[in-house]
Amino acid sequence: MQIAVNIAVLASIYALICCGYVLIYRATRVLSLAHGELMMLGAYGLYATASLFKGHPLIALAAAAGLALAVGLAVYAALMWRMTGESVLAAVLATIALGILLRGAMMLAFGTLTQHPLRDLGWENASIGLPGGARISAVGAALILSTGLVYGGLFAFLRGTRWGMRMRAAGQNPLLAAQRGIGLHGIYALSWGLATFTGGLAGMLIALDAGLESTLVIIGLKAFPAALVGGLDSLVGALAGSLVVASAEVLLIQYVDPLLSDVVPFFVLLAMLVVRPWGLFGTREELDRV
Amino acid sequence: MKLRLCTIAAGALFAGAALAQDAYVIGVSGAMTGPVAGNYAPVVEAMKAYLEHVNGKGGVNGRKVRVVVLDDQAQPSRAAANAKQLLAQEKVLMLLNTSLSSTYAPMVGESKRAGVPLYFAGSVCPKETYPPADPLQFCSTAFGANLDSQAALAFVRSQAKQPVRIGFAAMAIPIARAEIDYAEGLSKTLGMTPVEKQISPPPTPDYTPFATKLKDANPNWVFSWSPWVSQVRTFEAMRRLGWSGSYITWAHLNAEEELARIRDGQFYVFGTNAFVEDNLPVHAEIRAVAARANLRYPVSYLTEGFVAGLVIENALKNTPWPPTPQKALAAMNRLKVDLKGLRGGPLEWTKENHFRTRQYYRVWRWDPAKNQIARVQDWQAIEVKR
Repeated sequence: MQIAVNIAVLASIYALICCGYVLIYRATRVLSLAHGELMMLGAYGLYATASLFKGHPLIALAAAAGLALAVGLAVYAALMWRMTGESVLAAVLATIALGILLRGAMMLAFGTLTQHPLRDLGWENASIGLPGGARISAVGAALILSTGLVYGGLFAFLRGTRWGMRMRAAGQNPLLAAQRGIGLHGIYALSWGLATFTGGLAGMLIALDAGLESTLVIIGLKAFPAALVGGLDSLVGALAGSLVVASAEVLLIQYVDPLLSDVVPFFVLLAMLVVRPWGLFGTREELDRV
Repeated sequence: MKLRLCTIAAGALFAGAALAQDAYVIGVSGAMTGPVAGNYAPVVEAMKAYLEHVNGKGGVNGRKVRVVVLDDQAQPSRAAANAKQLLAQEKVLMLLNTSLSSTYAPMVGESKRAGVPLYFAGSVCPKETYPPADPLQFCSTAFGANLDSQAALAFVRSQAKQPVRIGFAAMAIPIARAEIDYAEGLSKTLGMTPVEKQISPPPTPDYTPFATKLKDANPNWVFSWSPWVSQVRTFEAMRRLGWSGSYITWAHLNAEEELARIRDGQFYVFGTNAFVEDNLPVHAEIRAVAARANLRYPVSYLTEGFVAGLVIENALKNTPWPPTPQKALAAMNRLKVDLKGLRGGPLEWTKENHFRTRQYYRVWRWDPAKNQIARVQDWQAIEVKR
């Protein structure tokens, strides 16, 4: 039972991170290599709001989530909209530059010391007993719950709302969507906003669980194989890919050798590229675009 | 007009040269930014602040000490470029490394080519500094491979009231893995039963799967020797899984504030630097220096850098003017530094031993009854021989 809980928590972390990669890619065809940094920025946002709204943890969390959404919109408005119509490579390079800039700026603004937003919020990461003798941390439970809510919300948004349908249309055929009167810049900005919000949320929850330090960026990249395994343009794929990669990691740690956990996501990815290069739920035609 | 410009330029050149010649120049390549900067930047900044404080009091032997710090972001290629620049352009007397062990090889190569001593301050002491030492490599960093495991396991043995079933946790970096392998072997010779060893990759989003395996082996003690994040996250994950044993781990720069955050009576840290809560006169000095230099780090993070500053000051005191790397090397080969209580005794280097002749360890934990840090074991010395 404990192993199942461990898989669920790790898969939730990966799924929440992957969500951002997929949202941006399926709408704009751009692979955001600044996602780890944006995730960390979200976590630092929580650290800042926790200090600002001392004694009001829910307000601090809501403010940090709003801030993450706003940062995503701002990134599109300030940088990525200029990449519209440019080659995909140019846009990807722009995200790399953005990542370097953000990393430096965060170091200047927040320093290099580990921060503990959970303590600043006045909360404790309690251990919760589960049936079968398993245990889960409060933040681990929040991770699973948040992932469920985020994915549920996104599915409902994409399928049931006008903006969601516009986003899907822009992702499938931007030229046709634009000819039908859909404002592409608005859709792209929204996808950047939502991606940064979900990535920021992942960053916040990881920071609440394990403290906030600069290695968070690398964790953002570690989730990338899960997105590719599931299919870079599929949210269902992101969930499935995260589950596959997390299961492989946890089972290897438990039954084979913990050292393999670092490389197994890439083994799974290589196997997927050989068998089904577009991923479990990805679209075959997308491969040419990549 | 041309003549005037030439005169001004020549004057500026001479002034620059004179400035360089009037000072002892030390070159540092450190991880000032990047993912691991939190472990290294406080050391460099404290050392620099201390030497500025020395300059403020008239310098060393009436000369200023100039510290040139270059950021290597813990990248070997940058460390190599930094070492070349420090040696060729700055003509430093001594190179300092305050970075990851992956940056050592290029700096050692440059140091050897130039015949300039290489001093590791705040970074892991390489084996070459232990006796019989490499002629050019020196180290003052608190932790020491093998000796730390000896001290930690001796403490475990002294505390254990029942047979010790010991688990081990480390980060998947070469130095930590080697130390944990050594500790595992040592534990058997001390009559303990090693039950599990978990090596987690850096960084790991969730330490619970590693902690689960460790907890399932049912150890009553766990020893971890790694970067702080790996040490403490494994412990916290084990506690959340319901494990109730004792955990001993290395006291990194942030140990003092972390003990107060974790507040667990069975979480022990051992180390060689005195805690700020000891409130020694030297701690008041550190506070004053940190305030003057406007350092962003808590005072408890600065001891290691202060030790490095004291070592450099003493080495330079014995380096007669005009200084050369050879004279600095000779001074470093017969160095004895009074660390004013920051460690259990003086730091002593000899021609054969560039680590220290004695390593002193203390152990602390959080005392839940008194709600404060408690010293569980006072200085215990280990002779450093090879």
